[in-house]
Amino acid sequence: MITRPVAGAPRPYRFPDFDHQRLDNGLGVWLVPLPDRELVSIHLLTDAGAASEDEEHAGIAALTAQLLVTGTERLDASAFAETTERLGIEVGSESSWDSARAGFTALGSKLDDGLALLAEMLRTPRLDPGEFDRLKSERLNDILQARADPGRLADESFLREVFADDVPYGRVSAGRPETVEALTVEYARAFHATHYAPNVADIIIAGAITPDDARAAIERHLGDWEGTAPTHRTFEPVQRGGRRVVLIDRPGSVQSELRVGHLGINRHDPRYFPAMVMAALLGGVFGSRLNLRLREELGYTYGARSSFDPRRATGPFIASAAVQTEVTVDAIRELIGQLERIRERQPEEPELAEVRDFLVGVFPLRFETTSGIASAIEPLAVYDQRHDWWQRYRANLETVGASDVHRAARELVRPDEALILVVGDASALRADLEAAGLGPLEVVPAT
Amino acid sequence: MAQVPIQRHLLDNGLRVVLSRDPRAPLVAVNLWYDVGSKHEKAGKTGFAHLFEHMMFQGSANVEKGQHFSLVQAAGGTLNASTWLDRTNYFETLPGHELELALWLEADRMASLLPAMTQEKLDNQRDVVKNERRWSVDNQPYGSWDEKMQALVYPVGHPYHHSTIGSMEDLSAASLEDVQDFFATWYAPNNAVLTVAGDFETDEALAMIERHFGPIPANASLPAPPDMTVDALLGEEVRETVADQVPLPRIYLAHRIPVFGTDAFDALDVAADILGAGRASRLYASLVREQQVAQDASVFVFPIVGGASMFALWVTARPGVSIETLEAATLAELDRLASKGPSDADLERVNNLHAAHVAGMLERISERADRLSMYTCLFDQPERINEETSRWTAVDAARVTDALRASLRPENRVTLTYVPAEAAS
Repeated sequence: MITRPVAGAPRPYRFPDFDHQRLDNGLGVWLVPLPDRELVSIHLLTDAGAASEDEEHAGIAALTAQLLVTGTERLDASAFAETTERLGIEVGSESSWDSARAGFTALGSKLDDGLALLAEMLRTPRLDPGEFDRLKSERLNDILQARADPGRLADESFLREVFADDVPYGRVSAGRPETVEALTVEYARAFHATHYAPNVADIIIAGAITPDDARAAIERHLGDWEGTAPTHRTFEPVQRGGRRVVLIDRPGSVQSELRVGHLGINRHDPRYFPAMVMAALLGGVFGSRLNLRLREELGYTYGARSSFDPRRATGPFIASAAVQTEVTVDAIRELIGQLERIRERQPEEPELAEVRDFLVGVFPLRFETTSGIASAIEPLAVYDQRHDWWQRYRANLETVGASDVHRAARELVRPDEALILVVGDASALRADLEAAGLGPLEVVPAT
Repeated sequence: MAQVPIQRHLLDNGLRVVLSRDPRAPLVAVNLWYDVGSKHEKAGKTGFAHLFEHMMFQGSANVEKGQHFSLVQAAGGTLNASTWLDRTNYFETLPGHELELALWLEADRMASLLPAMTQEKLDNQRDVVKNERRWSVDNQPYGSWDEKMQALVYPVGHPYHHSTIGSMEDLSAASLEDVQDFFATWYAPNNAVLTVAGDFETDEALAMIERHFGPIPANASLPAPPDMTVDALLGEEVRETVADQVPLPRIYLAHRIPVFGTDAFDALDVAADILGAGRASRLYASLVREQQVAQDASVFVFPIVGGASMFALWVTARPGVSIETLEAATLAELDRLASKGPSDADLERVNNLHAAHVAGMLERISERADRLSMYTCLFDQPERINEETSRWTAVDAARVTDALRASLRPENRVTLTYVPAEAAS
């Protein structure tokens, strides 16, 4: 048999050049011309995410974003869908904690027509009461569906349990049923009028464009957009309690969904790159410690992973796996054991090199598509990251050494403070979890 | 639409090779389709093709357990594999200068998997796959629908009657001897297609492929393909109700239809998008937006080639809406399209959405490689990748109505309804 081949010489790769300007009305414009592409992706970001709503109206940012695609003053829901889709354009509009995003990917020839419709949607949406009521009840139904799905139930419950009571991040950004129930179309209209304005918005266009045509189209459709919006709230998340176990009863479950973690980092944390490498080594790639141990050695699960979710403010750090019910306690011990291990000892260089080389090498793969490139510009616009973020990205990863990873683990992984959340069959798990001494146990009955 | 370049080669051992060069990004995709899927499984061995796929990552003569993943990832690549009814595919995308690593890894396991197989590895991956089944089917609301649907659409004994994930019982029974037999039977160069797409030099790539795959012997006694024959229509209306841990009832409908690759399949593919793609689709507009009887609607066809394919859809009931109301409203939309046919606007809409979708798909070299392997493995026609949009635009209103009238008949319909467990008792 032929021995393992030696790699050839790598071809250089550079993140594509882009142009950033600001229109007179404050709209940020980011253009990434990619002349060898057929498609164009447009992402229009507004500082109208859940961080811009007040807690009393939690969920209004998400509903307003969804409501935008249900028509304009000129075109009702049916006509707007028909007009855009006949151009081959499926307009998306959604929100997260830190921004709202509307946009689409289409053939380059549709840029001007598509942008005209997108601008019409943002500037003069219909915000129809009937469509609002429909989307609101669909959202409430989706919450019902999510609570039947063990993975989604675990994700949602983890947020509720890990953040202290008054921290907005203790919920999904789309809101809780109690607050969504109380929302009305008037709140959506007020939210749109207040938070959708050019001074807090950025448009990113990547793909088959020439900068001059794209700029002219943006001027034409958004140049006379007026208004001024306030910026988002700021808050500093705080964790609830210390190390404890919460068991959410889901009778009849044949697996336990595990979520183990605590607070992590925010977007601007100086330990961002060591944290990313550390999380990948622990649970971010197939060959990570969690997956190798829980899957490839023990067969407890189809997959185990860990990650940070850095937001404008501190987001969670979560290690997760779905394990067969019988091994739940052992799986939790193994998972916690890996969190302790990464704190205790600096990783060996070959293990670190493999993960770092993956993160460095996989870089161009993330930018194969126009939408991938447009998405890469988003953190520059939303978080004011340096414009050379992607130019410096690989070098920033390459300088992460074993001691940096170890320091990040000691500072950012805290098994003694971890919330251990289990969604599973309490009748099979309660006694074992009590006996295991993993921390004080609270059982949340099935709803 | 830009054409995907295609070069075909055939090695002496029967390995079909497809090359598609595109140097725009310094990336290369390697994709292998083996012409073996769950339809090739024998009675009592359901789920084995997929379990075997897992074993292909457990090392081979020159590769340690776990090393396949670690070598590709350390090279900055991504990789995976999947098993379905007709086939099993294995794929890597990595920086172009690492092409030979992927070829070597794939060739090593095609040539010499068995020396690395142990009972311990089999037991481990059996547990992993059982947990995959628990996660995706047994512990998931509505998770059993496709398994149940296949069992109802295809008769007992038909190779599509059972699911790819297989039964717990059969997974428990799988032995090392099964691994040896399956490998010896199906994992041979003359039962595979190798596609390389992206940034490479053609002569170099061909030389590497010849060097690594050329010495692997063909299997001179590949079994005949399984008998996939099945009546074109079910012949009776079939209904089943499942009580499950679901908050909202959901109706799944399926019909037997002509297989992937036929003109009728294309017409039904177009019909599925008219009914289910986008907010202007018939089901979304009527059931979700106007009548507000459904929470969501989804329509699709199965790209499978043995005997008969499936045209399937699901609709989830809004709270307070009866199953009878939702079913009647859904069938009314199917009947309306079948009787009156699509409008020019319907066809323009789905053709333009499809064109953008195809362009998006082909932006990724991994997807290009997978589709080239698929068209070669299933039809021996890789050039079909360049007909994805023209096959759609060739579908006119008459073809849509003809295909719908032929297949979407009550006596060719399976209705599978999920209801909340407490409501059913």
